[in-house]
Amino acid sequence: MSSRSEHHGQRHSGNLYVLLAWRNIWRNKRRSLLLITSVVISVFVAVVFSSAQFGQDEYMVHVTVGFYEGHIQVHGNHYWDNRSFDQSMEMPEREIDEVAATAHVACVTPRLETISLISHATTTKIASVVGIDPEREDNMTGLKKRMVAGKYIETGSTGAVVSEGLAQLLHVGVGDSIVVYGQGFEGVTAAAIVPIQGLVKYPLPDLNNSMVYLSLGFAQQLYSAPSRLTALAVLLDDNKALDETAAAIKKVVDGDKEVMTWKEMMPELVQGIDANDAGTVLMLLILYVVIGFGIFGTVMMMTVERTREFGILVLIGMKRWRLIVITVIESILVSAVGLVVGVLISIPPVYYFYFNPIHLGGDYAKAMLAYGFEPIVPLSIAPIVFTIQGFSVFGLGVLSALYPLFVIRSLRPVSAMHG
Amino acid sequence: MKRRFIAILILSTLCVLSLCAQDAKEIVKKANDLLRGTHTYSEISMTIVKPEWTRTISMKSWSLEPDYALVYISEPARDKGSVTLKRKNEVWNWVPSIQRIIKIPPSMMLQSWMGSDFTNDDLVRQSSIVDDYTHSILGEETYEGMKCWKIQLIPKPEAGVVWGKIYLWISKGSYLELKTEYYDEDGNLQKSFFGSDVKTFDGRSIPAHWEMIPSNKPGQKTVLDYHEMKFSINLDAAFFSEQNMKRVR
Repeated sequence: MSSRSEHHGQRHSGNLYVLLAWRNIWRNKRRSLLLITSVVISVFVAVVFSSAQFGQDEYMVHVTVGFYEGHIQVHGNHYWDNRSFDQSMEMPEREIDEVAATAHVACVTPRLETISLISHATTTKIASVVGIDPEREDNMTGLKKRMVAGKYIETGSTGAVVSEGLAQLLHVGVGDSIVVYGQGFEGVTAAAIVPIQGLVKYPLPDLNNSMVYLSLGFAQQLYSAPSRLTALAVLLDDNKALDETAAAIKKVVDGDKEVMTWKEMMPELVQGIDANDAGTVLMLLILYVVIGFGIFGTVMMMTVERTREFGILVLIGMKRWRLIVITVIESILVSAVGLVVGVLISIPPVYYFYFNPIHLGGDYAKAMLAYGFEPIVPLSIAPIVFTIQGFSVFGLGVLSALYPLFVIRSLRPVSAMHG
Repeated sequence: MKRRFIAILILSTLCVLSLCAQDAKEIVKKANDLLRGTHTYSEISMTIVKPEWTRTISMKSWSLEPDYALVYISEPARDKGSVTLKRKNEVWNWVPSIQRIIKIPPSMMLQSWMGSDFTNDDLVRQSSIVDDYTHSILGEETYEGMKCWKIQLIPKPEAGVVWGKIYLWISKGSYLELKTEYYDEDGNLQKSFFGSDVKTFDGRSIPAHWEMIPSNKPGQKTVLDYHEMKFSINLDAAFFSEQNMKRVR
């Protein structure tokens, strides 16, 4: 009987702690609002900051893969290491369609790509010659939008679309002809005189000085590689589905083909992102130190203010550990309110700048343009941004509650009362 | 007295060392002169062997050492009439199917020539195995039943050579370059060159069958077979002109 009532009493006192903590919070609204505000601002700053960082990473990947390579590429085995026609592949339309029909695949584009000499009069340059399916290529990389003169190629065209910088180096324009001279499949000489039917412009000088697009059929004929491809580039609707989609595509294509993700094809991009992230972690650590001291300062001030109250409570018989429990619950409640409010008020600006990215100016913008990026900073709306930053700050808030704990434990009630 | 003795000892050692070096260089020079005339004509078939395919190209070549060379492709039919012209350190190609002469830019010089294991640079390379290297005899070895000197070639610092070192096996007495190994600067074997099937052309006995085997590409090699060689034909620099690229048969 007595044990049951004891048990009942304990459960009751459990609720009582929360109730007392809740009342304590509202007893001095200004004090609690101050603490909540400091948590809210901290959560807000951390979320926006890391959202900008994540956003930049996502944007870098999005731009790079969408620019040309795609998220995933299918090649003949060992093609990526050798870049030779010897490792090109045959890929029937049915197989291409199957890859295109895989979940998360937004679009695919087949290519026959090689390096050749491009010559006009006495000038010779080296360029990437890419045989493309005009419609699919435009779908994926928006090539048509980059046209600055002449006509885009169509299936079966025997003309070339040349990057503007290369045309300038060769002193040619739309209507002139260039010599394409290289090596075809199985070492056969490939040579043709090709009229230029259009010019495309790239922001990146390296690319702008070295691209020649032909229709896929014409390129296959020129390089004696009928029905062969060097790559099938695949763009996804979601970069997070990268590995599972690569695995799914691997099952669809036949065995002597390699399926590579952009992480495998462009390790330098992964390194760039890692370096960027390391910088972010450092910045966040500094931010956390600032936030931590902000919250801690507030808690310390409030503890000093309440020392007299604690002293009285202990003197009239309140067990110290009960007081500690109440104080801890107070901290958790305040931090939780701060967390929720902080995340809620950070959502509108993050979404706003996600849809309306910040445009950069000045030298940094020029540097980004030179790398082929549009100089913008879109914010990320990935849930992880909110959860990680929110809970980190929440953790800092709860950690700060250790201070009153320490004070209560070593409290000398009489001197506290005379404070 | 003692000091004088040591001086003589050092001097004589130096003499012997330099004599040895002289000797190695002399051997390499003799072997090199045997293979390379100054006014040379040759008919060669080159077979490119890759894991996926094999291709044979027949050609005629004229050369005026060290600056000029012209190679005319007579087979396969698709490439018949193609001409490569080397003038000093420049390379031009005549492509009959489009009736154009194309200059090979410097950045393409290390690319494969006609799909083979030879580069454009191999065609024009100015470096000489006689003058650009320091030679030393490592010892004697028997290769394919013939007694050979094994000679090490280390490039001179000022020579623009891509190799770290070269080993040459030259047969004693007949001065045939039977085997050559090319190493990179880290001491890894990059490619080997084997000569065999000694035949007499224009009074000289030299290997008629050559195989170039790159060491990091399994199943791949380039084979050269010499069918005809003349070492002192009537040639002058005017022969190596752009006009003649289109005319030569």
